[in-house]
Amino acid sequence: MSGLTANKTETNVKLPLSFIFLGLVSFVLSQWIFLIHSDALTNGIFRLPQILMGAHLLLLGWIVMIIMGAMYQLVPVAFLTPIWSEKLGFVQLIVTGVGIGLFSFLLGFNISHAVYGAVVVIVGILLFLFQILMTLKKQEEKNVLTLFVGGALVCFLITIIAGLTLAWSIAFGSSFNYTATLHSHILLGVAGWFTLLIFGFSYKLVPMFSLSHGFKMRGSKLAFISYIVGLLLLILSFWLDHSSLSTLGWILLWVGFSCFTLDILEILKKRLKKRLDRPFMFSLIAIGFGWLIHTAVVVLRLVHFQDERIWSWLVFLYIICWVMFSILGYLYKIVPFLWWTYKYSSQVGKISVPLLKDMVNEKLGVTLFSLFTFGTFGLTISGVLQMDIAVQLFQAIMLATSIAYLISIVQVIRK
Amino acid sequence: MSLYEQVKEALYTVIDPELGINIVDLGLIYNMEVNDNNDVKVTMTLTTPGCPLHDSIVGGVESAIYFLDEVGKVDVQLVWQPAWSPEKMTDKARAMLY
Ligand code: HEM
Repeated sequence: MSGLTANKTETNVKLPLSFIFLGLVSFVLSQWIFLIHSDALTNGIFRLPQILMGAHLLLLGWIVMIIMGAMYQLVPVAFLTPIWSEKLGFVQLIVTGVGIGLFSFLLGFNISHAVYGAVVVIVGILLFLFQILMTLKKQEEKNVLTLFVGGALVCFLITIIAGLTLAWSIAFGSSFNYTATLHSHILLGVAGWFTLLIFGFSYKLVPMFSLSHGFKMRGSKLAFISYIVGLLLLILSFWLDHSSLSTLGWILLWVGFSCFTLDILEILKKRLKKRLDRPFMFSLIAIGFGWLIHTAVVVLRLVHFQDERIWSWLVFLYIICWVMFSILGYLYKIVPFLWWTYKYSSQVGKISVPLLKDMVNEKLGVTLFSLFTFGTFGLTISGVLQMDIAVQLFQAIMLATSIAYLISIVQVIRK
Repeated sequence: MSLYEQVKEALYTVIDPELGINIVDLGLIYNMEVNDNNDVKVTMTLTTPGCPLHDSIVGGVESAIYFLDEVGKVDVQLVWQPAWSPEKMTDKARAMLY
């Protein structure tokens, strides 16, 4: 027997699938909450308790849960090392799930007590970070992926500490700079944690899904350094209230994102698989959106554009069009792979098994991805123009599409 | 058909589920030996280290060979040197990627 088959790196399929399923339910819930409170979106009031509840169901309940599920699956295979403790994984699933539910509920209905939910979320997330740390420690060979994932995890840690600080001061009051903490929290959560993580996994997944060969990833180190320094400068600028520091920070983030984008373009140019799967292409399109938003931010900074509402919508677009669209696309690859491995892996070489692309309905996927794009842009435009009925209509499209997306994923595991 | 031929044929039935191409045409099989006891030794690679399908494909190779009645022991060695490169694919595999 080869050493590698003896030492299986696969995770128990129930663990990642439970994270993913909870994530999908949370996604639908968040869209429903945004629909009920669409008037707040129309008026550009994002810091309403109900919107905060919807936002954290989206960010923590959906995106973070999906990332955790995907990492339980991808870390063992990408780093060639099994998960440190599967049992801890299930404990962490329950603590995090309960925590996010409680925290979001309290944010919406009893914000002065949200801190109690926040503590449970933090415990769940710390268990996850501990698990990943112990798993990565076992890895022999460190590479650029380790760098990005490590950086992302540090940002995640600071994000949740800042989040806890915010919830604490809502409950008990405090004397420190609340706005700077909030801005650091949003920046490190969205641009630090999400973006660095997607960078890292894209460097691994894009060559794999496109069967690319002979690429160099020349920009990866610069992408990392520039992005990290950009984040640091921006945080400094929030605390020192320093405008030119902030402009420089945004420019560095743009440079980092551009290096990453150029690397991905090179990988795609050197690919052997000419016809790419549609869901994967959607994740690639998300990179384009991310780059455009970074570019727009730099331009707006340079012309000293100050409208608070437009900035809020840009953060919204960044979360949806870059982070969430990447995830929507990759999930159409990850779930079929998970289920295929569970159901058919042991049958390979014995009977004829389906191909991975037979596990999902690609055509339906294309329709759903188009609807998400249509809904998001419609929502943003009608939100900026404050057209109430149109905001409601587009948010209803988002809700309906999220439900259809959930069903399409559930159908994979019935194959 | 000699056992060697049978094993070779069996390997053609192992398909990379992501690409839909069998592992022989993909050029993943580096070497194959059958000794006097009918023990089979296969040396193979995968297109990328850390390929998520690695357990499935290596396991698939073992199953496909064990499926043959006369086979004794099966030993599948997964190696990364020399690394796989596109030149190792047959024209048939290349055509399927377009
Ligand atoms: C990756 C995870 C997270 C991300 C990306 C994130 C992102 C955000 C964003 C974008 C906002 C502004 C929302 C709005 O204005 O509607 C926000 C606010 C807030 N977050 Fe988070 N968050 C994360 C995790 C957490 C955690 C774990 C906690 C608590 C432990 C937390 C506590 C808060 C609080 C209390 C606010 C409200 C601040 C206010 O508006 O006054 N967040 N977060």
